[in-house]
Amino acid sequence: MLTQPVRSRSLGPRLLRLGLDALAWGLALAWLSFIVWALVASLRPAAEPLGRGDVWFGSTLTLENYRRAWALAPFARYYLNTVLLVLSILGVQVITITLAAFAFAHTRFPGQRLVLFFVLLQLMIPTTALLAPNFATIRRLGLFDTILAIGIPYYGSAFGTFLMRQAFLEVPQDLVDAGIVDGCSWWQLLRHVYLPPSIPTLVAFALSSVAFHWNEFLWPLVVTVSDRSRPLTVGLVRFTQLGEIGARWSLLTAATLLVAAPLLVAFLVFQRRFIQSFLYSGLK
Amino acid sequence: MMTHRRTLSSLTVLLLLLGLAVAACTPPPAPQAAPAEGETGPAAEPVEIEVFYPVAVDAPIAQILQGYAEAFMAENPDITVKPVFSGGYGDVKTTIQTTVEGGGEPPALAVMLAVDIYDLINGDLIVPLDDYIEDRAWLDRFVPAFMANSSFEGQVWSIPFQRSVVTLYYNADLLAEAGLEPPDSWQSLGETAQALTLREGDQVVRWGIEWPSGWPYWLFQPLAIGSGRNIVDPGDPLTVYFDHPDVVEAVQYYIDLSGVYGATPPGVQAVWGQAPSDFASGAAAMIVHSSGSLAGILEQADFQVGAMAVPGQEPGTYATVPGGGNLYILKGAPQAERDAAWQFIEFLTRPENVADFSMNTGYIATTDEAAELMGDYFTQTPQAQAIREALQYADAEFSVHNLGEVRNIFHKYLQAAYNGELSPEEAMAKAQEEADAALAPFRE
Amino acid sequence: MVRRPPLLPYLLVLPTVVFVALFTAWPTLLAVYQSFFRQRLNIARFREPTFIGWGNYQELFTSPDFQQVLANTAVYVAGTVPVSVVLAFLLAVLVNRRALGIGFQRLAFFYPTILPMVSAATIWMFFLTPDYGLFNQALAFLGYRGPQNWTANPDLALFAVMMVAIWKNAGFFMIFYLAGLQSLPTDVFEAAALDGAGFWHQLWLLTLPMLRRTTLFVTTIAVIGAFQTVDHIFVLTAGGPSNASTVLLYWLWQVRFEYQNVGLAAALTVVLVAILLVFTVTNFVLSERREA
Repeated sequence: MLTQPVRSRSLGPRLLRLGLDALAWGLALAWLSFIVWALVASLRPAAEPLGRGDVWFGSTLTLENYRRAWALAPFARYYLNTVLLVLSILGVQVITITLAAFAFAHTRFPGQRLVLFFVLLQLMIPTTALLAPNFATIRRLGLFDTILAIGIPYYGSAFGTFLMRQAFLEVPQDLVDAGIVDGCSWWQLLRHVYLPPSIPTLVAFALSSVAFHWNEFLWPLVVTVSDRSRPLTVGLVRFTQLGEIGARWSLLTAATLLVAAPLLVAFLVFQRRFIQSFLYSGLK
Repeated sequence: MMTHRRTLSSLTVLLLLLGLAVAACTPPPAPQAAPAEGETGPAAEPVEIEVFYPVAVDAPIAQILQGYAEAFMAENPDITVKPVFSGGYGDVKTTIQTTVEGGGEPPALAVMLAVDIYDLINGDLIVPLDDYIEDRAWLDRFVPAFMANSSFEGQVWSIPFQRSVVTLYYNADLLAEAGLEPPDSWQSLGETAQALTLREGDQVVRWGIEWPSGWPYWLFQPLAIGSGRNIVDPGDPLTVYFDHPDVVEAVQYYIDLSGVYGATPPGVQAVWGQAPSDFASGAAAMIVHSSGSLAGILEQADFQVGAMAVPGQEPGTYATVPGGGNLYILKGAPQAERDAAWQFIEFLTRPENVADFSMNTGYIATTDEAAELMGDYFTQTPQAQAIREALQYADAEFSVHNLGEVRNIFHKYLQAAYNGELSPEEAMAKAQEEADAALAPFRE
Repeated sequence: MVRRPPLLPYLLVLPTVVFVALFTAWPTLLAVYQSFFRQRLNIARFREPTFIGWGNYQELFTSPDFQQVLANTAVYVAGTVPVSVVLAFLLAVLVNRRALGIGFQRLAFFYPTILPMVSAATIWMFFLTPDYGLFNQALAFLGYRGPQNWTANPDLALFAVMMVAIWKNAGFFMIFYLAGLQSLPTDVFEAAALDGAGFWHQLWLLTLPMLRRTTLFVTTIAVIGAFQTVDHIFVLTAGGPSNASTVLLYWLWQVRFEYQNVGLAAALTVVLVAILLVFTVTNFVLSERREA
């Protein structure tokens, strides 16, 4: 397949290979330039403004911008909020989608297609589009300005249910039958037969869920107002809007990286697993 | 396809996450129950008030306010003041709006934009302060420009607190090199900017002036005022003067700075963020910006920085417009808290505190008595004094009913004119028409 | 396997169904209902809802702002989706080879997915800065001499926010193509190679058709994503200049939370949901038919 086509010794494929290499490296460096610049700029002394031809290193490297950004907003609290947010969403989702997917994959019940279609509504109408009426619901439930308010619309996940259902459907029927013969309860079937081979899918879903909610901005902006619930993204935007003064790039990039760092570092460390779990998750 | 060994460790990670999540998933504490009404009792009862405030400058506002709160509490042992950082200006207002909508109790005191006055009155969120002000002369201490957005229907609704003003910064070294005086009219501003614009071939190396217009009304207002007609009148929330010939002329002047003088980038300049560092790095000889940027500019610039009001159309005239936040007392708070809030306002507006706040944050001292205490500071930072003097040319900041919508209408057409999509006359005529429609529901 | 106690499946799907009902179905109905009422929170006498029939829709469909916002949204979706999907396919092909540094390249293309959109937009804000912004410098190096004020020029602002979205999403979509590519049967390609089919030939005539389902899936999530991501607009342009980069969801936020016009925002929600439903249902029907 595509890993093979350049095996031949003639000049054309070799040129092609060189061309593709050059293209890949060029694009990769262009893509990386954003984060590299941000990192360099965040270490630049604040008193040295960027200018034409002088946008990278300053006279020295300093962590002062991080200290300043940290002092300007309660980032520690934002971290805590964001972590609580993504973990609580994920925790509930894992339960809801596993149970629902099991019901859809393993059992037949009257109205099943209808229920499945109803759940899939959530895929067709993204929750973000419903922010105005959902805001009203959150107000009515008395959840306004809580971490729960940011997370609760996502506690049920059509995407996750659908993914897990696909994974469960691929579990060989022999295994399931064997389990039933052994007298497994539904819970044991799920736990010992369905779940183990579906873990990669679950991990892939978990990663995409965490990344999505870590990065979400608009809905938290709307349903939170105080630091006891605000996540990192909403906190960051304050820096781009420090109304009275001009944004300083060094301060802004420091704040930006503070917000993005945990996921980026996690990604670097678990890079293989991140991408692999996507590859094996049945997202084909 | 997949190996079970790898999945095993994934499972562990997942279970760990799950455990954490369950622990994390306990519902957050319910909003604190409103203290029972009627418990306030006699004045000697201890009172606790919250003060919601935004941070809009690169200064440790939280520490500074906490310091005032502690000094105040030392004087008034029966009052506890809790400053609560609430985000940006918009956040403070939204917090209070939504708290009240939800039947909750707002803080007694909040720092919100001076121009939010009509929205806050329409939302029935604030109380007039006249009952607290025993002597109207007490108000005379404040710079008149800062009071321009405080009065409505004969009542006073807010007290100036963290205030700034539109400032023209110029690179005094470059002016001196070119043998130029600071500009004193539209024409001389254009010519100075033109003279200081530096080109290499077809490349501009230095702009004569940068005038941000990504969020344009504020920095535009000095032009309208300098032309003879502000876009609003103080205390009148129903009328805008977008299509007034003087305003149209002001729009044209902004366009001319690029079209005629070639001294500024053409069209809308979305450079609010970088203008101060462009100025400090020498990429722009002059900028129009907030007085709040002074500290940052002085920190970065290695040349003599000049600061002044924006020159007006006629020689020797100047204009500018204030901005920033005022202190408001919230209606939903119990009487005792509101009274305590007023005491804290009086404390904050003492000359020594106003002076201290100004010197520590870069905001402008709101009273002359305070400014008199700042002699050393003004000697060290003559620009700060110049900015304060510029205030004499200030007129009211843009504030009307339905501000969000009317302001967006104005922005839309002002930018259309700046970008040459409409002529200034057409653009302002349309802006006037749509703004009138947006204000109509408030006229009845 | 149908011998479960009949109640169990219902109990298992109940939590999901409840959350979907509460935060997808109910708000949709609520929006339809509210869209027939006038309710404006910043005008004292309109604070309580009053029935006004089709009033909000009339206001919407006669508003030039709405027409511009719709047009912007169409351009945004029609621009970002195909470009990011094609780019994603291209990137996947590039990093699906065996060559030095492939892991590094995958990392380079994928990391924007992990970056919050507001962070990405903040960094782009610098790259798009006139004169010394790196994007403009790169363009100038390539000989571009046009306008550089990407976020303030009415012809460029929408394009600028589209670029950010494409940059951010291409690596995410790439992963799906990469998964697709790796699941393709190698023997077909070996046979094709033996028959003398060249690289491009294989790419167009074998790989692409075999990844049709991936393309459909990626396109679907790309379209839905394009409608629901406006974070970068907050940071980069605030919808400006003169509404040039205002798209539906951003305007919806403005109408509801800046202008506090609940009724009009509800009507806008209905329009947005209708557009999304028409798209997804059409998509679903088409794909079912093709599968059949």
